[in-house]
Amino acid sequence: MTLIDRFATEGDSMDTFRTIVVDDHRAFRTLAGALLEDHPAIDLIAFGESGEEAIELCERHKPDLLLIDISMPRMGGLQASRLIKAQDNPPHIVIVSNFDDAGHREHAAASGADNFIGKAEFMEGVDRVVQQLGGSTARR
Amino acid sequence: MSESRVLVIDTNREQGRSVGAVLEFVDFTPECWTDVDALRAQKTRPREYAAIVIGDLGDQADAFYAWLKRDPQFPFILLLPEQAEAPHGLHPDEHAVLQMPIRHQQLSELMQRVSVKRMDSDAERALSRLGPSGESQAIQRVRGMIDQVAPFDTTVLITGESGTGKEVAARRIHALSRRANKPFVAVNCGAIPADLLESELFGHEKGAFTGAVAQRRGRFELAEGGTLFLDEIGDMSLPMQVKILRVLQERSFERVGGNETRQCDVRIIAATHRDLESRIVSGDFREDLFYRLNVFPVEMPRLADRIADLPRLVDDLIASLQADGRGDVALSDDAVRALQQYAWPGNVRELANLVERLSVLHPGQVVGMEELPGRYQPADTGVTESLIGATAAHQSATQPARAAQPSLPESGIDLRDHIASVEMALIRQALDASNGVVAHAAQLLHLRRTTLVEKLRKYDLGR
Repeated sequence: MTLIDRFATEGDSMDTFRTIVVDDHRAFRTLAGALLEDHPAIDLIAFGESGEEAIELCERHKPDLLLIDISMPRMGGLQASRLIKAQDNPPHIVIVSNFDDAGHREHAAASGADNFIGKAEFMEGVDRVVQQLGGSTARR
Repeated sequence: MSESRVLVIDTNREQGRSVGAVLEFVDFTPECWTDVDALRAQKTRPREYAAIVIGDLGDQADAFYAWLKRDPQFPFILLLPEQAEAPHGLHPDEHAVLQMPIRHQQLSELMQRVSVKRMDSDAERALSRLGPSGESQAIQRVRGMIDQVAPFDTTVLITGESGTGKEVAARRIHALSRRANKPFVAVNCGAIPADLLESELFGHEKGAFTGAVAQRRGRFELAEGGTLFLDEIGDMSLPMQVKILRVLQERSFERVGGNETRQCDVRIIAATHRDLESRIVSGDFREDLFYRLNVFPVEMPRLADRIADLPRLVDDLIASLQADGRGDVALSDDAVRALQQYAWPGNVRELANLVERLSVLHPGQVVGMEELPGRYQPADTGVTESLIGATAAHQSATQPARAAQPSLPESGIDLRDHIASVEMALIRQALDASNGVVAHAAQLLHLRRTTLVEKLRKYDLGR
């Protein structure tokens, strides 16, 4: 068993990523909450509705993982990602986007975000990120 | 800026609302107005929106277009059929006409293009003002090399750590070249999945693969006559490297799914933060492509190696934010001095992000040293000090006769290897002390678990 495997199979408090979801659309927040509620590696600690709120929540909770919508009023996910990466101990940032194409992926990368997920394959994307970070995706 | 607000102006309330409903469905935030005077009273500016949808304006058309043209940077305009005959001098590249009734697919595809266009122009505006500026010898040398190579069609390879401004340098080369009036097209080879990159670069014919519902030009075609910037080329797969090599040799390519060979007149500037020569040794990068690209190498200096430029860079970044109306902030002298003590692993991009953050969190204020995030404050050197202390402790355990302060051997030292070995040693000790429980080891090292897991992968300590 590798250390990473061991990390992935440790007890509840050990193998979860403290996660914040930020999206201006309530319907998506609700959906994401329902989908992630039972995820073995995700511990949902807060929801936000805007880029500004994402900054404040990340500063306050110091999460492991931030899933943030690219497209929001005034401050979208790209600007929020740039600003959050300037805080101490920034989280692993995943840009979530309704549009999944080369252009959106390139701008997400340029913002300093660590990963990109299209909303159409949200759960598959979350599992990929979790696996990359060494967490478990095996549902109980 | 990835703005989501779309202004919908239509005296026909029902029509405006139905457009708004479809916009909301594709993740935008519609603001529907029926009255231009009420809109003007809001004091919002056209450029604040991702796009503007113009429907039936009735007798308010003149007032609306006067408001629109007051802002020279207004966003993309979508016209409903009522306005299609009266574009009020709009350039064809600035607007599109939507067919009624609005179909989800049509609006979604259009808004997808509008969204990328908006992000492109925001990024270009931010980058075009940024130099590479500074007066240090290191950056003057880079500017000299750029000026030297720009007028020729020579292929340029720009290397340097992430965030050192490789795209800024590429844009300057283009701007000073005879191709300046032609397109500058950038592509980040590392951000695009390998299976999409070929069609992104070379385009595709209709039906070339599932999802290729229409013919599409690739970035080589979009850059025709101008410059193509292949960023993060060190991340490109070996099969794609073969295809790029062929374009460099033959100046021709085919679209995916197409038979027609297309000639291209494009200057190539490539960039990478990776050490391509070591990737050649490991078999991850083709030697022949490297020599084709490395005709004129330019190495971007780390910010730490030109730290004297920092005050000037801060001023330039603030001026850029002000010019865009994106923020305003000032830094006190002690804050600037503190920033000059920092190591800047993320280079100029990290500095740009910090300045932008300060301008958002402290708008119009003078930011002092104590308001900087902890890692930028000289007092918060806990990690560095403990690392140095640990190095000293490690050395004193193995070489008790030596002083606690690490000393530089006469033959010099590979600092990166040394730091890596210190890091690995401390990680091993932390894992031993916590019986291999990564979460506990992370606490001992004051790291996030995710950061430690990444380091375990990096140093192959997982086994």
